[in-house]
Amino acid sequence: MLRRAVLQTFRQGLAQSFFKRNAVSLSETTVTHQPIETSDEADEKSVSKQKPGDESGNTVVVAPPEFRFMYPEFLPDPAMERRNRLKEKLERIDMLQRRSVVEIPEFYTGSVMAVTVADANSPNKFARFVGICIQRGGSGLRAWFILRNVVDKQGVEILYEMYCPLIQKIEVLRLERRLDESLLYLRDALPEYSTFPLDMEPERRLNNSVVPINPLKVKLRPRPWLERWERQNLQGVEDLNLPQRFYDKAEKVAKPWEKYDLMLQYRKTIPAEEQEKIFADVHSQLQQQEFKRKIRRRRGIDNEQ
Amino acid sequence: MNQADLSKLVSALRIAVKPKPRRFSCPEGPAGRLEKLRATVTALVKYERIELNHPRAEEAQGYAERLISDAIRNGDCHKHTMEMADYWLNEKQLVHKLFKVLAPRYQNYNSSFTRLVLGPKTYPGYYVGTAILELKGNPFPALQPETHNYHYWLHNVLLEEAKKEFRSARQDRNAGTTESVTAES
Repeated sequence: MLRRAVLQTFRQGLAQSFFKRNAVSLSETTVTHQPIETSDEADEKSVSKQKPGDESGNTVVVAPPEFRFMYPEFLPDPAMERRNRLKEKLERIDMLQRRSVVEIPEFYTGSVMAVTVADANSPNKFARFVGICIQRGGSGLRAWFILRNVVDKQGVEILYEMYCPLIQKIEVLRLERRLDESLLYLRDALPEYSTFPLDMEPERRLNNSVVPINPLKVKLRPRPWLERWERQNLQGVEDLNLPQRFYDKAEKVAKPWEKYDLMLQYRKTIPAEEQEKIFADVHSQLQQQEFKRKIRRRRGIDNEQ
Repeated sequence: MNQADLSKLVSALRIAVKPKPRRFSCPEGPAGRLEKLRATVTALVKYERIELNHPRAEEAQGYAERLISDAIRNGDCHKHTMEMADYWLNEKQLVHKLFKVLAPRYQNYNSSFTRLVLGPKTYPGYYVGTAILELKGNPFPALQPETHNYHYWLHNVLLEEAKKEFRSARQDRNAGTTESVTAES
């Protein structure tokens, strides 16, 4: 397997470049918005559903099914050896506490975001970075996401931990999804696909109920690449145009039986009943926080007027 | 730390699932492992009770439970479930059996759908021993006798209370005699 080049995605506070690339003239890429239903399970937006009651006649409040996409870090690490129900419960309480102080908005891989971090070493004590979210991971308080941008012809990636107390503000400038869950191929793509102006304004969405999927197919630079993209079944890249031997080797190395391995899937997921319990626990508080923020926003607009 | 996979919703299994899967030695390697388990799961669904070696039985139990739980949760019109059933069951009439017979049978079950009973370890032979894997609700006679003497049966409850009364009465009598002895002395 190709030895991964040592890529150090720098944590917040150290926005240094790590490889030099020559940028082609920056051209505006056309982005087509196609509001496609992201999940065929529910159309409602954060409306709590009341399940029909049990024998005692009590109604059970259940969070809407898309919560697992909006707040994936509330689900614990599925590895069985590391599960601890008490620890997870305490972590959720802490996460909600942090969310009541700082608004952590809904975002997906492919959304353009701006993060303001408290930085003792910068002239104004805050450091703001704008970038496209190329990957998100972690669970609980260790949830993180990576923002990528090209600044002065230099590719820069910063990993932010969502619940870090240094984070002052997280804004989503453009909320959209892409065809892949991980956009690491942007490192090998032409720089215009990763460039976003640092003074970008937040964009208003026409249709609030559905998150649009951007069907953009990215063009990659000529080889060598950081990873073997032809082995990864990427939807969001243009045809790689490699010699046939690459595809033959990819087929030889592929594990097509993993698609049918039911126990492998089970060990990687949290069962639906547990998910429902976790989100039922958490969603009423999240709803309350959203409500309070809306009121504060409206009051702010009224005061300005 | 990894994030849980969100692409599929799975039902919780009611068997003890080990954190790591077992590997089976086969000439085709990891691909062959699933082929072997496929044959076992097909046989289980076909015959509803099979006797085999313990490690293979444990692994096949997990896959069988997953297949049945998916069939119950999603039904036969779900594309992914049908693909899985098509892969795991080598005989296509068993796909019909899964959705038309087994899914309704286990619809309201609160327990697991399969039962693994350890079988005899004959010496010399395979060290880990045999096991019998069966689908619950099968038409054969039960493997293990039904346990009697449930504590919540009425006559058992009454007997327990009678025992407690007898013991407390005996304690009072003994306390009474010791007091009278101490009073006399």
